[in-house]
Amino acid sequence: MSPSPDNHERFENLRLELRRGCLSLAVLSQLKTERYGYTLRKALNEQGMEIDEGTLYPLLRRLESHGLLTSEWREEEKRNKRFYRLSADGRLILKQLAAEWQSINRSLNGIL
Amino acid sequence: MELLDRYLDAVQFFLPKKQKRDIIVELSEDLRSQIEEKEAELGRKLNEFELEAILKRCGSPWEVASRYLPHRYLIGPTLFPAYRFFLGILLLGCVVPRFLVWIGFLIFDPADREYLNMGNMLATIVSAAFFTTLAFAIIEWTGIKLKLGDYWSPRKLPPVRDPRRIPRGTSLAEIGAAAIFIVWFVQALWPREIMNVFGTRITLAPAWNYFFSAFLLLMACNLVLSSVNFFRPYWTQRRAGLRLVLDVANAATFCWLLKAQILSAISVPGVSEPKAIELTNMINLWMARSLPWAVVGLVAILLFGIYRIVRLRMTRLRCSPVEPLVNGVANLMVR
Repeated sequence: MSPSPDNHERFENLRLELRRGCLSLAVLSQLKTERYGYTLRKALNEQGMEIDEGTLYPLLRRLESHGLLTSEWREEEKRNKRFYRLSADGRLILKQLAAEWQSINRSLNGIL
Repeated sequence: MELLDRYLDAVQFFLPKKQKRDIIVELSEDLRSQIEEKEAELGRKLNEFELEAILKRCGSPWEVASRYLPHRYLIGPTLFPAYRFFLGILLLGCVVPRFLVWIGFLIFDPADREYLNMGNMLATIVSAAFFTTLAFAIIEWTGIKLKLGDYWSPRKLPPVRDPRRIPRGTSLAEIGAAAIFIVWFVQALWPREIMNVFGTRITLAPAWNYFFSAFLLLMACNLVLSSVNFFRPYWTQRRAGLRLVLDVANAATFCWLLKAQILSAISVPGVSEPKAIELTNMINLWMARSLPWAVVGLVAILLFGIYRIVRLRMTRLRCSPVEPLVNGVANLMVR
């Protein structure tokens, strides 16, 4: 039996909600080394964490406005690119979030 | 890449002003990288359908821009750009024309300014803002999905707006109108103080000769400027300044004419002399009373001309994603 359109939409909303927090963690983890948006997206996609440009760039802006990332514009291959990396606060938060993730993961594995 | 430029231009329209440039350069870089990667994979340039598929996957300009906006509680980020746009248009339509007319009355006819009192205007603004907000809040809170994303296509997006471009059709229409006006003006109204129109004898004030020369000179200048614009269809600061001076001079001369009591006498067959004098006075009075409206027109023309110059200056200072292409073409055209 295929899911009804309503259920499909509910699932999509919950899935997006579930992914939202994970994406911040995934993005922070990939910015231990400096990257610009497109290579960051590729790196995440290659590791199975698909993220589209419409989600990634607003997320990067939010993380930067919270002081977790720093960025600078540089020219590379004759194009202006914005390079992001973790700030000192970002490194600290990443460490705490990673520990939190491990803890949730352990708990959920047990619950499920 | 014209489709890509049009897409970026459409996204840019809905973005918050302060972040516009940064977001567009970053998004443009990402999309260009995707396109290059795909082209390298296929070993050829992408065709329009393949490019369209990439842009469709990225999302409608509306959706993409909405993700950059902060969360609003009454109206969410998806609807907010549309809400802001509609509210702006509505308020502009309600406020600006009435305000200009009110200013006109205030300056030239203070006794009649009660026709357009500020209290009424404020009530109109409040009701317009209230009902627009209410409509959008209902859409937001009842969860009505507009599904706008399903119906958009990159091909249907408008072409990239270039504020420097002067449509050739507009210049051609201006040339035609100016030429027809000059021919008619010279043939029908060659400076003389007495004219016969369908049996009616119209006597004009001696000042008419000055107005005639002024209108003729201004119209000739307009004709020259429109011809230059036709062959070099990109605004330059100098030509935009000249256009402003000419438009304002035209409007100011017209305003002056309205106040000049230009009609000295009218003689209509079958109408008694006292009646004819009364008619002459009525026409002169009617012309003088329409002065505030003409001044409103003059102010609007002045503001539009200034806006065009400021916009040209801003375009020169700011580098949009399509600027290199536009610059190249513009330089070729003005050379």
